Amino acid sequence: MDRREFLKQVALWYAGIMTTAPVFRLVPRAMAGTSASPPSGIIVSKGEDYFKITAAVIEKMGGMGRFVKPGAKVVVKPNIGWDRSPEQAANTHPQVVRALVTLALDAGAASVQVFDRTCNEERRCYQNSGIKPELEKIKDPRVKCEFIDERKFVPVKIEGGKALKEWQFYKDALEADCYINVPVAKHHGLSGLTLGMKNIMGVIGGRRGQIHHDIGRNLADLNTVIRPSLTVVDATRLLLRSGPQGGKIEDVSIRNTVLASTDPVAADAYATTLFGQTPDAITSTVAAFEMGLGEMRLEKCTITEV
Amino acid sequence: MNKKLVFRRARQVCQIFFLALFLFLFRQTDYTGLDTIPYAVNLFFRWDPLAAAAVTLATRTVIPLLLPALAVIGLTLVFGRVFCGWICPLGTLLDGTARVIRPVSRPLRPLRHIKYVILTVVLVSAAFGLQLAGWVDPFSLLVRGMVIAVDPLFNALVTAGFDAVYFHGPGWATAVSEPVYDAFKSFILPYKQSLFIWPAVSLVMLAGVFALELLGRRFWCRNLCPLGAMLALVSRFSFFRRKPLLACKNCEACHHECRMSAFDDDRRMMAEECNLCLDCLEFCPKQITTFRFTPPVNRAPVDVTRRHLIGAGLTGITLPFLVKIDAVAKDPSRRVLRPPGALAEEDFLKTCVRCGECLKVCIQNALQPVLLEQGLDGVFTPRLVPRLGYCEFNCTLCGQVCPTGALKRLTPAEKHAFVIGRAVFDRNRCLPFASSTPCIVCEEHCPTSEKAIRFDEVVVTGAGGAALTLKRPYVITDLCVGCGICEKVCPLPGPSAVRVYPAGEISSDLYPV
Ligand code: SF4
Ligand code: SF4
Repeated sequence: MDRREFLKQVALWYAGIMTTAPVFRLVPRAMAGTSASPPSGIIVSKGEDYFKITAAVIEKMGGMGRFVKPGAKVVVKPNIGWDRSPEQAANTHPQVVRALVTLALDAGAASVQVFDRTCNEERRCYQNSGIKPELEKIKDPRVKCEFIDERKFVPVKIEGGKALKEWQFYKDALEADCYINVPVAKHHGLSGLTLGMKNIMGVIGGRRGQIHHDIGRNLADLNTVIRPSLTVVDATRLLLRSGPQGGKIEDVSIRNTVLASTDPVAADAYATTLFGQTPDAITSTVAAFEMGLGEMRLEKCTITEV
Repeated sequence: MNKKLVFRRARQVCQIFFLALFLFLFRQTDYTGLDTIPYAVNLFFRWDPLAAAAVTLATRTVIPLLLPALAVIGLTLVFGRVFCGWICPLGTLLDGTARVIRPVSRPLRPLRHIKYVILTVVLVSAAFGLQLAGWVDPFSLLVRGMVIAVDPLFNALVTAGFDAVYFHGPGWATAVSEPVYDAFKSFILPYKQSLFIWPAVSLVMLAGVFALELLGRRFWCRNLCPLGAMLALVSRFSFFRRKPLLACKNCEACHHECRMSAFDDDRRMMAEECNLCLDCLEFCPKQITTFRFTPPVNRAPVDVTRRHLIGAGLTGITLPFLVKIDAVAKDPSRRVLRPPGALAEEDFLKTCVRCGECLKVCIQNALQPVLLEQGLDGVFTPRLVPRLGYCEFNCTLCGQVCPTGALKRLTPAEKHAFVIGRAVFDRNRCLPFASSTPCIVCEEHCPTSEKAIRFDEVVVTGAGGAALTLKRPYVITDLCVGCGICEKVCPLPGPSAVRVYPAGEISSDLYPV
């Protein structure tokens, strides 16, 4: 084959594969059924050292080893949605994230991925939230604080979905051995508050705005696909108004609180009370409870402070 | 190595150095994790005497940002057009293409005068308030072409290749290709794929400059480039020149080999056409050429006639009026959104050299070139197109890279207060109004610390007859800065139900205070 012929072959091959539809080789992880074993436990810790109180909460839950097996692929999913500084309370606090990443590494994780599909420009969000700079300080190649790779969104059928039948999910989130959800609790114009259930918006693709049309039900449906092993709610600072991105320091109330539960609904329900509201005020909590994703009646949960 | 070859090598090293610097600064024209860009990425425009002259004439003010241009003038006063031969990245690229594109024929007759004509038209038009430099300035052509077409095209092609392996290749191939792709992304490719309106226009303009090499080496530089013309005029006074000033009788070497065709029909050398490439040190069969400091004696006149100049001057006067009588410029409905920090529209049009730096740096790919929507005057100026990309609230990059100050450098506080435009809801389309569907994604994204979008809670009868509580958005106009994120995120197909329109200036035109 002469050079010309060879180039022709390569060009044809190139053109051929570029025009065929992509094929995903992914088999979505088996979707878990309702697993929260009653009574749902909620662990709460208070203090000014956010790294410490986060570690204390995990300790009380039986240590990270309970969730992260040696060699596990771990995903820690904070909220990095906005180009805001930690004081502005729009994103998860970097120390809370760092604590969880460190503990997962100590438990022998093979990799710890931290990512979010941001609303503002992703490089600004990762940087100014303080999360990327903080994680870089760990200097461990197993920590991967990477931007979302659009190629990795794959369509997933939502078997038990009441409103949504199919949506695009982030492959790495689906494939994680241990998925730790780390939302920041804050005000939100449409849903009232944004908590753990809403944090899943950061691992879905497509035009996310449509989720708002029936937000409570849609969020509950999405949450049947990705079931976090652990939900850690950052309530160190609460953004009380102008959520979800705020901007004014006067709208932030310092609470120095971190709480965690293996039951995502219970975690959201408890976090709601920190805003002086009852769990049933949040439609996604109610919808998820009705679908059996967890417990929203706090009187049925054991609440432990450490 | 032969001594004469050393000179040529020195020139080539210098050219490659500045080309590399140019490409490096091009790549650095981006967000890097810092709120301010650490390099003077717009350097090549700031030392561009053509841009400086055209902007100074049009605005009748001295723009401090453009003072480095004096250094290039100074350099030319001493050494002649070394800038063209040793520094200009477009010249270097054209020299580089000489290996690929060979002239198809000898140029029929010299066309050197055209560049003086172009220069005259640009400067006279500028003096009458029309900024045309962006059409013909070599850096504007080059950077704009790269920003709008070459760079995105390059990225798309490379990425398509890696994507093909990623989606269709076997596992082992992906294991190899992905690390290579990561390396490409870190060092060669832009951070993300940008998209611009009508890239073909800028591509064709730039490609045209290269295609002209078919008609002769450095065709653009010797016949068309107005910056070259300007430096040529300055170099009439330069001290460093080639000797002898006459090509020898019975020898055609100078005539045929000089890439700038710096010799007239009477064998006289036109020092202002010489870009000091030093080739004649080598090709001279008798090896008698030298370059040295000598008093600026010019044997031949500048190759342009008074007729040409009068014609150019008249054109330069007429074009601004052609723009003035164009209704397009007066039509408020054609006003576009300017980037944050933009001068008042009239001054903006005079000051902007259409370089494309702001389009390149925009972190949201929100800035797009204006094409014909604003008439001749607006072509290639930047506009914000929120449906494609919004202006990031805390970003101030475009003002930092603008070489002429058409976009002011804003502090974060000034940026937060700068009004690009104002948002307006179209209730006929907005979901909570038009179809009683909950939405307010716009309110969620509105970045002003006191939200410029608020909502009323209303109870309506839903489709099924049951009562439904809805949040219906509206804009607090005084709080809105026109960033356009609401327009961008509106989930409706087609045009957004909330759109940003130009504000301020236009309304004060209509209702003077
Ligand atoms: S238009 Fe806005 S987002 Fe784009 S570069 Fe300028 S300031 Fe940044
Ligand atoms: S353009 Fe929209 S999002 Fe931006 S400030 Fe105005 S109302 Fe808010």
